[in-house]
Amino acid sequence: MAARELALTALLLLGVSLVVFVILNLSPGDPFSVLLEGQAPGHAARASVHEALGVPTTWYGRYLAWLGNIARGNLGTSIRTGVPVAGEIARAGPNTLYLTLGSLLVTLLLAVPVALYSASRAAGALARGLRLAVYLVSAVPVFWLGYVVIYLFIHRFGVFPLLSGSAEPARHGWLYGLLPIVVLGVANGTVSEVTRHLRGELGRVLTEDYIRTARAKGAPVWRHAFKEGFLLPMTEMIASKIPFVIGGAIIVEQVFNWPGLGRMVWQAAQDRDFPVIMGIALVAAAFVRLASLLRAVIYAGVNPRTATD
Amino acid sequence: MTRPPLLEIQDLRTYFYSRAKEAFIRSVDGVSLAIAPGETLGVVGESGSGKSVTALSILGLVGGNPGVITGAVHFAGGNGASGPRNLLADLERYVSLTKHDGRIVAVAKDEPGWRAHVERALARVRGKQIAMIFQNPKSSLNPFVTVGQQISEAVRLHTGVTHASEAKERALGWLERVRMDSPRLRFDQYPDGLSGGMCQRAMIAMALASEPSLLIADEPTTGLDATIQSRIVALLAELKSEFGVTTLLITHDIRVVSRLADTVAVMYGATVMEHGPARDVLAPGVEPKHPYTSALLASLPSTQTNGRRHAVDGRLPVIRGEVVDTMNVPRGCRFHARCDRITDAIRARCMGEEPALATVAAGHRMRCHLHPGEARGG
Ligand SMILES: Nc1ncnc2c1ncn2[C@@H]1O[C@H](COP(=O)(O)OP(=O)(O)O)[C@@H](O)[C@H]1O
Ligand SMILES: [Mg+2]
Repeated sequence: MAARELALTALLLLGVSLVVFVILNLSPGDPFSVLLEGQAPGHAARASVHEALGVPTTWYGRYLAWLGNIARGNLGTSIRTGVPVAGEIARAGPNTLYLTLGSLLVTLLLAVPVALYSASRAAGALARGLRLAVYLVSAVPVFWLGYVVIYLFIHRFGVFPLLSGSAEPARHGWLYGLLPIVVLGVANGTVSEVTRHLRGELGRVLTEDYIRTARAKGAPVWRHAFKEGFLLPMTEMIASKIPFVIGGAIIVEQVFNWPGLGRMVWQAAQDRDFPVIMGIALVAAAFVRLASLLRAVIYAGVNPRTATD
Repeated sequence: MTRPPLLEIQDLRTYFYSRAKEAFIRSVDGVSLAIAPGETLGVVGESGSGKSVTALSILGLVGGNPGVITGAVHFAGGNGASGPRNLLADLERYVSLTKHDGRIVAVAKDEPGWRAHVERALARVRGKQIAMIFQNPKSSLNPFVTVGQQISEAVRLHTGVTHASEAKERALGWLERVRMDSPRLRFDQYPDGLSGGMCQRAMIAMALASEPSLLIADEPTTGLDATIQSRIVALLAELKSEFGVTTLLITHDIRVVSRLADTVAVMYGATVMEHGPARDVLAPGVEPKHPYTSALLASLPSTQTNGRRHAVDGRLPVIRGEVVDTMNVPRGCRFHARCDRITDAIRARCMGEEPALATVAAGHRMRCHLHPGEARGG
């Protein structure tokens, strides 16, 4: 089974890389024109750049060359800076990991209590109010909230100086580190769906016959409802929402000038820095795949019956 | 009844509120029953007559919309307890009822407070003193936990056994006692890997494992294959003679009741129509009988000589007419629309006045104008 999953993962990554590569090659602009900036490059000039760098002229030739490098564990070098892509990703990756996982945590910290509360007090006015609040919050665009927060904290109240994320902020550094997480966690658009799913699943499980049995035998309901009513929907939500969080991270990193992969890929897209874009796309796809593998592992661990399907 | 009852239900009423129809569904409407220690009380009646809701009300397990539960459930279980205790005591604190013509017409309820109170009041009763098994054994077991662990959990929760290994030994012992084949193998299996019959054996093992003073079995054979049904009935009979655990046995299957019950209560339209020793209530030909009980007995396939029943789509013959609608309980006797024993002499009373549950013989009560007996209780 593990071998099959690995093969699937490899196939998926291959597919993603091919699609991204084709899109990049179809879109106007040439990565190497960066090197000819300020000139009006003719066809001959481009060809000479390609030749000087030893780059194949057809797109599939370039893709195969890229694949060959990947097979040797080499993500290539940035066309713009000449720095190895792998090193760049390793440097910026943790910042994005922190942002995605941290904001996912914020999302769950918002969604879980509301879901639990409204699953147990479905009819209450407070539960309804909370659900409405969560729904409204989900509708807030992430860039808008980001700018509002920046305006309030930096320009209005001057809590910390305007800075580029690379330098260590002098005051309130921890707060500056928390803001993007909170903004992304609140406004990544998934809070309301996570709440609804958790509440729905928990509510459904609490009416299952086996929960009634647990009550009748005097066992803690939570012990019996935990797996199907909490663990599985949580896993499901985390695995399926990670792509959205990654998408939101690209925006939040722009807004907060956060030195992560999102800002890097944004910059690379403007520069047509293909190796950087490809490298980051690959890492993002691997991350998403990892999340769904984790979900499969948890599902299988919870009940051997599900391991077969 | 000479011994004081282990469980005595007095005028239990459990109503659900239907928002759509803006009316109360009177699922249990004035049920009074008693079970003596060591006895098996069989509650029988057509589907929808309020049997399950009665059982669930005892343990505070009634789910669904906010509704009313009134009356008393006196339970004398627990080792050396100081007399019977009303499991429904103080519930009225959380509800205010508006009555009109003696009928409940509106309820205001502090639902969270009510639920918290029920959990507190029944914390040491559920599982420990009263255990329950259900219809659909497969869905009633937790699919994510092995059968063995679910039984050991009952042992550890209620018997003072704390060591996992000892709890496991006890659980295995119970699996053997319910005649589970290869108990050691089954112990580590999930309910999904077991047949319906095996799951019901596991449920019974789990219920008995906590050594309760009262066992409530709600339709323990319903939904199982016919051969499995008779095996489960045989097992229950065997366990009854072996352990003599007091049992409230609920079923729509009169044959199950006649095999297992010492006392029988016949329910119809959310209330008890007849209540007495099994031999008096169920034996054919023994009079007096409630017309509904007679009709139930006549509907059994083994008494096909009777001309009054007729088969519906080739299945069990049934009693003519609709089961009474508990939202609009008719005036008069609940059964009068389907009753074939109404005489001109009593017709007006049957249609206008609900008969009381009257004693017709020692320990035998009946709700019928044909057998007025000496009126008592209701
Ligand atoms: N949670 C509920 N909400 C509304 N009505 C219910 C609920 N549970 C049971 N009822 C109704 O109460 C009546 C009695 O049900 P029940 O006790 O399950 O009958 P049975 O005798 O077949 O066990 C039925 O008409 C049923 O529809
Ligand atoms: Mg039932």
